[in-house]
Amino acid sequence: MIRASDISVRLAGRQVLHGVSFEAVPGAMTAIVGPNGSGKTTTLKVASGELVPSAGKVTINGRDIASFKPWELALKRGVLPQSTVISFPFTVREIVRLGLSAGGSADTPSHDGVADEALEAVDLAGFSGRFYQELSGGEQQRVQLARVLCQISAPATDGEPRYLLLDEPVSSLDIRHQLTIMRLARQFCTEGGGVIAVMHDLNLTAMFADQIVMMKAGRIRARGAPRDVLTDETMEAVFGCRMRVSVAPGRDMPFVLPQSAAV
Amino acid sequence: MPHSEAMEGAMRAPSFAARIAREWRGGNRAGLARLVIGVLVVLAAATFATSIMTGAADASLANVFRWLAGEADEALSARDRIIILDIRLPRAVLGMLVGASLAVSGVVMQGLFRNPLADPGLVGVSAGASLGAVLLIVLGAAAFAPLFALFGFYALPLGAFLGGLATTLLLYRIATRGGQTSVATMLLAGIALGALAGAVTGVLVFLADDQQLRDLTFWGLGSLAGANWTKIASAGPIILLSLAVVPFLARGLNAITLGEAAAFHMGIPVQRLKNIAIFSVAGATGASVAVSGGIGFVGIIVPHLLRLVIGPDHRYLLPASALLGGTMLIFADMLARTIVSPAELPIGIITAFVGAPFFLWVLLRGRSNMGL
Repeated sequence: MIRASDISVRLAGRQVLHGVSFEAVPGAMTAIVGPNGSGKTTTLKVASGELVPSAGKVTINGRDIASFKPWELALKRGVLPQSTVISFPFTVREIVRLGLSAGGSADTPSHDGVADEALEAVDLAGFSGRFYQELSGGEQQRVQLARVLCQISAPATDGEPRYLLLDEPVSSLDIRHQLTIMRLARQFCTEGGGVIAVMHDLNLTAMFADQIVMMKAGRIRARGAPRDVLTDETMEAVFGCRMRVSVAPGRDMPFVLPQSAAV
Repeated sequence: MPHSEAMEGAMRAPSFAARIAREWRGGNRAGLARLVIGVLVVLAAATFATSIMTGAADASLANVFRWLAGEADEALSARDRIIILDIRLPRAVLGMLVGASLAVSGVVMQGLFRNPLADPGLVGVSAGASLGAVLLIVLGAAAFAPLFALFGFYALPLGAFLGGLATTLLLYRIATRGGQTSVATMLLAGIALGALAGAVTGVLVFLADDQQLRDLTFWGLGSLAGANWTKIASAGPIILLSLAVVPFLARGLNAITLGEAAAFHMGIPVQRLKNIAIFSVAGATGASVAVSGGIGFVGIIVPHLLRLVIGPDHRYLLPASALLGGTMLIFADMLARTIVSPAELPIGIITAFVGAPFFLWVLLRGRSNMGL
């Protein structure tokens, strides 16, 4: 389990997070949603160990994240950033293979299969010889995900669950690949891993997440199962949108239509 | 079948090439990179040998070998021995060391700043190193007497190292904010720092007395002309030490291509990587500047050419750059001492003639990828 307890963060003199607490359990997908600037990405940075909070602490599988060496953390969780710009002409295969050697493990030719599998999983089979810089934004994002999948290839090792931390994993993808990637994350959970994803699309979130952490202005405003968190009241209170949350018939799955927003 | 082995060999050669081509199409340039490194080793050895055998005087290597075997005419071969062992050999060794350290410094700095235009010469690190050395020469006897007493002939490379280190650290602090390095800030700040170091150097030259001016002039010629075994003994250890840690940076420099945060996510101790990288760049550049003055553009041309062929994977790029950098500098030095023979051109002129247009080409070609 990744547990964040009472996290506060100050950046450049401004309080960005105020006492944020949540748990992301293995086997479940936790989605962080909220308006722009509500502290979602900062929360993910704290959970990944990249940002040290000014108060509070994060534990991974019961151990304080501050006590991990960088390479130990790399074996426990992989992180997908929002977008990655590189200035050297790496091929897709070379980028994906960077994930293989994360955590200090050797990157040997026998790993070629792992890289190919990861590329296939993100629907980029046959792209390994292309140059990363020449791909579209959505393709680059999927290459990065393949790299993270190489780093965290198994959802659990020695009975200890591992985690994927995804910052807006589907933001620049077409609808087919949005579903591909969300299913991939879902499957990672089913196999015993844990996923924390920062999401903007509430409908995809409702479809795939087990837990929604809804944030506003650096605080958690609602936490729980999609149908408990996505309500007419939270839509107005958190997003400032008066819109109706409906339920897909027979599936107990809430959805929101922007068309329902009252101007 | 008596020829089966030869035939097998002939069969294997095309299949080896085919395998490399197949891997290359699949985005895997490791096989090609190893092959290129092998070729570069041969090229480096050949260039090294050629440079020992060519020069203004017609000294012959054969005579030296005969002298070593005690067979040749004493007086004649003694002259050849001095020319080859005490003039050409140290010059080739120094060229190899300086060329390798300039090229490797370029690679490390470009990796650290995540930008193919970062070069110790361009962004003021060499100027800072020069300042450190000039400071020692001019104020040396008075202010730094204990330093000289302690470090002897290592003092000059050490001073250049400290000057280079200070500039690199300052540049990194200025150009990097929140793990992101701004290219424009880096290049412009580098110009400013270089100019500042140049101005302070100017003041020191103004203050220098006649003897110090002589020292400065000889030191600042920016060439391999003054190569001797003493210089190699003073700068060589610092250069070799700086280059020796670089292989351990390769994996981290690869990861940092994706950004400092992503490198941390992949298990790289980013701060330690940066510290080691900055120290090794300052050490290699500083020691090189201390013995050969400022030789520009090697750190840009060599890594860039190699990236086009073998790709940017630092595990191969670093050794390949060291080899090609050394080879290129020895070759440029051969040109420098034969074009206008028996006079000599400063080698910095040759590298600038090739390097400056090359830099413009890189700039125009890669503008969109570098955020300029």
